[in-house]
Amino acid sequence: MSESSLTRRGFIGAGAAAGAGAMFAADAEAAKRKRKRRRRRRKKRAPAVRRADVIVVGGGFAGLTAAREVMKAGKSVFVVEARDRVGGRVWNHEFPGGEQGERGAMYVGPTQNRILAMMDSLGIGKFDAYLTGNNVAIIQGDRTEYSDTGPTGTAPNDPTIVAELAAVVTELNEMSKEVPVDAPWNSARAAEWDAQTLESWVRDNTQTERFRSLLPVATRPIFGTEARDLSLLFTLFYIAASGDERNPGTFDRNFNSRNGAQMWRIAGGSQTVAFKIAEELGPGRVKLQSPVRRIEQDGAGVTVRTDKHVYAGRHVIVAIPPALAGRIVYDPPMPMERDQLTQRVGQGALTKVGAVYDKPFWREKGLNGTALSTDHLVNVTFDDSAEDGLPGAMVGFVGGDNARIYARLTEAERRERVLGDFAAFFGDEARNAIEFFDTQWPEEVWSRGGPVGIHGPGTLMEYGPALRQPIGRIHWAGTETSTYWNGYMDGAVRSGERAAKEVLGE
Amino acid sequence: MRRALLIAIAALGLLAPAGAHARDRWDTRVLALVPTPGFPAHAYAHPNGRVYEGTYTNPNGDTVPSRVFEYEGDGTLLRSWTVRGQSLDQSHGVQVATSDGAGRLVLLDKSPPRALLLDPRTGEQTEYAPFPEGAIPNYAAWGPDFSLYVTDYAQGVLWRIPPGGGTPEQWVADPRFDGGEFGTTGIELAADQRTLMVAVQSQAGGAGGNPSSGRIFTIPIQPDGKPGEITQFWESRPADGPDGFGIAKSGNIYIALLATNQLAMIDPQGLEKERFPSAPGGGANGSPVPFDTPSNASFLGTRVVVGNQSYFSGDRTHQAILDVETGEEGLPELVPPAPPRAEPPPEPVAKPKRKWSCKRYKSRKKRRACRRTLAKRRRAAAQRRG
Repeated sequence: MSESSLTRRGFIGAGAAAGAGAMFAADAEAAKRKRKRRRRRRKKRAPAVRRADVIVVGGGFAGLTAAREVMKAGKSVFVVEARDRVGGRVWNHEFPGGEQGERGAMYVGPTQNRILAMMDSLGIGKFDAYLTGNNVAIIQGDRTEYSDTGPTGTAPNDPTIVAELAAVVTELNEMSKEVPVDAPWNSARAAEWDAQTLESWVRDNTQTERFRSLLPVATRPIFGTEARDLSLLFTLFYIAASGDERNPGTFDRNFNSRNGAQMWRIAGGSQTVAFKIAEELGPGRVKLQSPVRRIEQDGAGVTVRTDKHVYAGRHVIVAIPPALAGRIVYDPPMPMERDQLTQRVGQGALTKVGAVYDKPFWREKGLNGTALSTDHLVNVTFDDSAEDGLPGAMVGFVGGDNARIYARLTEAERRERVLGDFAAFFGDEARNAIEFFDTQWPEEVWSRGGPVGIHGPGTLMEYGPALRQPIGRIHWAGTETSTYWNGYMDGAVRSGERAAKEVLGE
Repeated sequence: MRRALLIAIAALGLLAPAGAHARDRWDTRVLALVPTPGFPAHAYAHPNGRVYEGTYTNPNGDTVPSRVFEYEGDGTLLRSWTVRGQSLDQSHGVQVATSDGAGRLVLLDKSPPRALLLDPRTGEQTEYAPFPEGAIPNYAAWGPDFSLYVTDYAQGVLWRIPPGGGTPEQWVADPRFDGGEFGTTGIELAADQRTLMVAVQSQAGGAGGNPSSGRIFTIPIQPDGKPGEITQFWESRPADGPDGFGIAKSGNIYIALLATNQLAMIDPQGLEKERFPSAPGGGANGSPVPFDTPSNASFLGTRVVVGNQSYFSGDRTHQAILDVETGEEGLPELVPPAPPRAEPPPEPVAKPKRKWSCKRYKSRKKRRACRRTLAKRRRAAAQRRG
């Protein structure tokens, strides 16, 4: 300090500072250390960016398959999953004795080659669904028992509807041959078929109310919806997709248990597939409880933001249903077609109910556990018993309008109604369940319904191409994007394999 | 020693995986049924191990644009694309003829007559060459200088597209290629990489012999790029309708006979040695789908993939890609080398913005003066910005 700058105020200030310095030197030092520590702590709190070649959003079958393929190609990957478990719409349920049943997807069948190959590669076996004995059908109050080895397969062989059933199924199968599974909107009659619903077509092409009463028995478990909500084009696509590259899809293969989509079950429960893939990916590669909120992309890569973490990669595979994908914020925003698509493809309303028994009592009565009913809350049931038959387990599907009715019931009412329905199908023993469980998929925040995204009239024609079309570095997977077995585990696996190949630039 | 033994055992295991067994010669399987609009012609076996199939002309007419399907070597459908810019009011269809070094597919379109490049990575379609009105570009093969030689189903000519694309020139027009109604069909570059082999389905005149017989000719590409002498290599039986073909490493040629629903094998001397199935007509091959106007035979390892068009009967259940075991390796296709990968432009480095702060001054007076100066500057800058 120069003399000229020494003023009175400066003098006093300097003196005070010197005094204070002498008095509080130790405190100042401590405060400095404290500030330093705080700064360091603040730095630590900034979200760390985790980098990998590919980020996969969604730990269901599609996402896990994609991640597995990416990893096999020698690239690094993170799977970011909103739930506290993997599997998505595939979810095991443990019976009281420790055996596994399923709350979601449970069957595989012929022509579902990709899921079967996946199971093979993971060393997971399958076993036959229980098909010994008769099916039960209740149509407008008439209860019949019949074998599914007859010409109608799983569908009822009621003589008053057989002719109409055969005509309708044949016609739908024939029409579906005109629908290319990769681009249903390209079918020569796409505009005509996408302008009507399945219900309006059935009304125009069938004669009896009795036959029409069967329609919800098919649409509720298959789509989780009513025929009035389904575009005819989408329904035909779904039939065409119930096959593979060598076997054209048919309604029969979709609906039947024997030689159809409900033919085999997965040893250890279907979620085992997800567990094994996650295990294969290695520790730290699957991040649970991490809902993705935002995806940003530029020329260099993508940034995926969850509430806690930031993931950066060269590509992102969004492997969740369109209805969930639409809830993520994208920067830059999605093109109009993609955004509108996600607003229109809602998930079906399907609730799966189940009951566990000491033994599968229906088998002793010569019944296989499959029931169809036009009259009950539960429209369809299947035997969900463990492989050796113990304990006995029964699952049922409550879909569409019935799922909405079901959601309004109390817990006690639900149990009573469902077990009452089971009793109507298989006898009063059904009321003595050891355990009752249900899964309302529309209430699952990270599914928003099930089993599949539904296309109403117009959507496929107007927005279908946006289902799979990558947007820059964002690629789409999920069973809704699959060509074959759309809505099934096989479709999910297929879509994951396809998306992985896209990002690997093959 | 023990380690060496283990490696040997492992190698044997790799060579013969459990359950795998060698297929018999001519064992035929359905690789995939081709979805609508169907009528698949040339099934192209890409060097990447996948199979690409375009949908060709529906003789009953349709107004649906053609599609291109991408299959894994095992027949799993991966992706598909719609061909853009076709004249749907005219007879239309595409064949995937070949690919370039970047992996892009070369499509030959009927209406308008043109060659397109389709990039499977992006789905982008760009025109590679326009053909004159009346031409039907059919099959294609790269020459040694990476000109693209294209046959023409409407006339007895061969087109040459210069390297990199552009207007094609009529490279050869010869009466021996004139099949009356049909022009030239399959084309391949021979193992010497300077001789083209070209098929015709019939011959209206010029070389004598039965006009309903098809033929394969050889045409050397001379060092100056001009065609050399055209020589007949093989003559088919009457009304065979030879179409697309593939060449094995051995020099054997496998050619599809669309009129008799057979495959023929021709040895390197041009002698026909075998036909499958042996009897013409029915096309029964042991698979659920018989040969029904088969279009080509392109090598994928030791198999040939065959586009089964079902042109005349239009039977959707026959419109498929068939997979036929030959027991011998195919000749690798010559494709242009991959273009050098363009390095992404360096990220522009933003000049760090200088942060003006008056905190560095310990004197309150100086800090105040500093703040005044900064405020003045900010006002001036705001004024400049208007």
